[in-house]
Amino acid sequence: MRIRVDNKNIEVDSNKSLLLNLKDNGINIPHLCYQEGLEPEARCRICLVEINNKLVTSCNTYPKEGMEIKTKTKRVNRARKINAELLMPEHMDKCFRLNKHHDLCNIIGDLGLKEVRFNPTRKYTADLGASVIRDNNLCINCGRCVQVCAQVQATWAIDFAGRAHHEHVTPYFEHDLNDVACIKCGQCIAACPVGAIDEREHLQEVLAALKDKTKHVVVQTAPSIRASLGEEFDMPPGTLVTGKMIAALRRCGFNKVFDTNLGADMTIMEEGTEFLTRAKNNGPFPMITTCCPGWIKFMEHFYHDLIDSNNMSTCKSPHEMLGILIKTYYAKKAKISKKDIVVVSVMPCTAKKFESTRPEMKSDVDYVLTTREAAKLINHFNIDFKNLKDEEFDPALGISTGAGAVFGATGGVMEAALRTAYEVGTGKQLTKIEFDQLRGMDGIKTGTIIIKGKEIKFAVANGLANARELMKRKDDYHFIEIMACPGGCIGGGGQPLPFAWEKIHKRMAAIYKEDARLPLRKSHENPIVQKIYKEFLDKPLSKKAHKLLHTHYYKRGL
Amino acid sequence: MQIKKQTKGKALAKAKKLGQKATINLIKEKVLLGRGGAGFPTGTKWEMVYNEPEKEKYLICNADEGEPGTFKDKFILEKNPELVIEGIKIAMFAIGAKKAFIYLRGEYEYLENRLKKLIKKANIEIVVGAGAYICGDETAILESIEGKRGQARLKPPFPTVKGLYGKPTAINNVETLANVPLAIYYKDWNPNLRLYSLSGNVTKPGIYELPLGTKLCDLIKLGKPKNKIKAIYFGCFGGCMPHCEKTKLTPDDICGKDCIHGAGTIIAVDEKHSIVDVATNIAKFYEFESCGKCTPCREGTMRILALLENISLKNADMKDLNTLQELAEVIKETSFCGLGQTSTNHLLTALKYFRKEFEERIKEQKDRRRIR
Amino acid sequence: MPDLLLTELRKIQKKDGYISEQAIKKLNKKTGIPLSNIYGTATFYAMLHTTPQGKYIIEICNSPSCFLNNSLNIIKYIENKLKIKSGQTSKDKKFSLHIGSCIGCCDKAPAMLLNKKQYTNLTKEKIDFILKKLK
Repeated sequence: MRIRVDNKNIEVDSNKSLLLNLKDNGINIPHLCYQEGLEPEARCRICLVEINNKLVTSCNTYPKEGMEIKTKTKRVNRARKINAELLMPEHMDKCFRLNKHHDLCNIIGDLGLKEVRFNPTRKYTADLGASVIRDNNLCINCGRCVQVCAQVQATWAIDFAGRAHHEHVTPYFEHDLNDVACIKCGQCIAACPVGAIDEREHLQEVLAALKDKTKHVVVQTAPSIRASLGEEFDMPPGTLVTGKMIAALRRCGFNKVFDTNLGADMTIMEEGTEFLTRAKNNGPFPMITTCCPGWIKFMEHFYHDLIDSNNMSTCKSPHEMLGILIKTYYAKKAKISKKDIVVVSVMPCTAKKFESTRPEMKSDVDYVLTTREAAKLINHFNIDFKNLKDEEFDPALGISTGAGAVFGATGGVMEAALRTAYEVGTGKQLTKIEFDQLRGMDGIKTGTIIIKGKEIKFAVANGLANARELMKRKDDYHFIEIMACPGGCIGGGGQPLPFAWEKIHKRMAAIYKEDARLPLRKSHENPIVQKIYKEFLDKPLSKKAHKLLHTHYYKRGL
Repeated sequence: MQIKKQTKGKALAKAKKLGQKATINLIKEKVLLGRGGAGFPTGTKWEMVYNEPEKEKYLICNADEGEPGTFKDKFILEKNPELVIEGIKIAMFAIGAKKAFIYLRGEYEYLENRLKKLIKKANIEIVVGAGAYICGDETAILESIEGKRGQARLKPPFPTVKGLYGKPTAINNVETLANVPLAIYYKDWNPNLRLYSLSGNVTKPGIYELPLGTKLCDLIKLGKPKNKIKAIYFGCFGGCMPHCEKTKLTPDDICGKDCIHGAGTIIAVDEKHSIVDVATNIAKFYEFESCGKCTPCREGTMRILALLENISLKNADMKDLNTLQELAEVIKETSFCGLGQTSTNHLLTALKYFRKEFEERIKEQKDRRRIR
Repeated sequence: MPDLLLTELRKIQKKDGYISEQAIKKLNKKTGIPLSNIYGTATFYAMLHTTPQGKYIIEICNSPSCFLNNSLNIIKYIENKLKIKSGQTSKDKKFSLHIGSCIGCCDKAPAMLLNKKQYTNLTKEKIDFILKKLK
């Protein structure tokens, strides 16, 4: 279909909104409330264009044959500018034109908005929670966080309340996020175009630990960080920066840089063995993975029956496994007292911040930094990230496999677990270790595998709305993996902003590239894993392994 | 008054005899236009719902008469509710709806019991609102009945295609539905008779039934004003204009003066009152009633009120009039729904016809400050 | 047909005088509608309150027709008499006052609702009379 835009003919797709069609044709219309993948709500009234002498929002207008669109008239410019001006008073106080991650800051320059004639009026108390913080004074009521929380995560922790200019985003009864069924996934942070929702930073605490000469400060990095950290330093999405990341963290002053992928390999050993045991005992099925702290908290709020029926695996998440191993196994080997070790995890995730404060985790991980915070830390030390030479993880806990690497993408945990469960269970080698049916962005993916003559049905979901769907038919499966965030950890709430599906696709490709690149691709082949069992834990699911690497769950209210 | 006539179920019987299609056609032939303000042909709306293949359909009687200065629906529901219920039953029959809702505004709660008694066993449920002007909007009313925040939905899809709970829905105003039995039963039914709600600075306010085309000044005379009438407001949303001898009560004539005929709301303002104060009062109404969904209406109505309060009470500049004008224009052009789009009509028309009063007020305040 | 949330909320408002956190939690259990959504709806409507209200809720109109008929003086009179402003509840928990939008009594302005009952053509004397009866 053809339409005319600013007196030029362009070819458009009639199933896409004008906003997206124009973007495909290199015409960027400023917008705030529209977010890729979600239904347009047309709240912000910024993405205006002129059709037949009328101003319309391009996010919810679809092309029609012969449509004539004007994107640059005086009228369009004035309307966009005034609507942006109406949103600016509060924001201007804090970061006028400063933050490249804020959509609002990015568009006001283009709109030519130089003066704001209105004074700030919002007087909200900020919610400075444990992992996700909110400042409603900065909020522009675009509704993206509300949409994501409801439609992608099916959690409904927040919604609009009040009316007119008193309308604001809030958990019910103005509670703090900490006091309601918020799973801390941070997808609202990724959705926010103005930084009104953000992570609770732990940079100061980490900097203090780094300065403290009596502390042995150890950092570990999650599988997906190496596929996304480069973006914070203007490298194209999907660039693998494993070597530079390690080098940069060393220059920040960390005594050791360890790999959470090793924790992932440990998780597979424990979880895979747990699954084989269940297979032998005919259940309980399905067994459901527990690597994702967002999902765990979600389950604790909404799915108490999964606790009662022992469907949940008891494995800790990979970084918590590595955390406790650092404070026990490594401490012993390096002859450092446990209390002098500070473990910092760099995670794509704000839910991991909450996880590390759980009493049953006994602060095995002291601080969690998001990908964004890690970049801030690196910038704090003025490190020229792009030009760093690649370095390797510290070998003590630094060798990992491709199985650990794929944890970063949805389906990865399942793929890694099946590689090990099959080979350990059957004693035979897999002819093809890539599970194509588990890869890609589909919300729910399923498949089957035969282990020792038994048909094992498995399923994987990402995004908790999809998890809710999958839970309705959970009894059809033996093994289920759930990741809270879209695409898995590569789409985590702690990843570089702004959110874009294209970036997540590229990060996913990088993760699988990392897997293919590694010489070892199955967790049970990891020599360090074997060494840890031989020297320290005896065997998977041993008494000691149970004590250190497994956990339990709570039933939480709403 | 035509609206006080009764049909006692005979119109419903006639419609059932005619059948769905013929009833719709009859309403089309009789040219019954919606009386909620937009004037959409009722028969056409019914036909659209009737033609939808979906089996489940709904009818909603919009009794959320929230426009300030409007009380004609209340008048009908008080004086002749039987007619409305019969109209609802006819509409349900014509479009094939098994269930209907009456969305009664919270302020009219006292009418609920009487209506309930009249409904008897018909599948008509009364939902009483809880104080939100926006819920008079045809998509906001859907959200409100569904138990959500009463904010307008994006159109398309239109309610006739996807309305209440996603099903085809016809939404008709009380006065429209009251006229349905009359139009079907009485051969001499006059489609041009309208109910005008007259209030403000008149000594005989009330409901007047007059034909379209009546001179506005004749209506005002019926109201017996004590002082000279300076301006006419067509509700808050319809804008204002100077009172003159020539204006006729027709949508076209009033539209020619940048105002909206709407649902026949006439508020008379006499020369003892300042337009600046009326504008501030109306701005407060919108600042309170904006639903909050879109930027221009949520933020804009609040800024407009602040600017007007500044002009009427404190210190303002002539420059502020330009800001006011610009803001009002953009709110009108870019708001999400009818509420926002019409929220500044009163101001734009006031600035057009009574700009002097604003300028004088600004000067007055400046002089006062100088004296101090 | 799902439960009509608005009707449920109005029932609670009538029975308890306001919509408490407990009531919202109960409603969530009953209907399955998320807490944040119920709160969002409850705070949208002017006649639903999430803070305790007085025994008598006065909703007084200040839209143009009433405004043109001296409603401001009546409002001031009530505010002084009850010693509360719009949105407040008197210390003895007897009265809550809300200045609101048109209540459809424009032909009998100024007007107010007292616990949903209409009182019209208000004068200071009339206010005295109405309030006296309540004491």
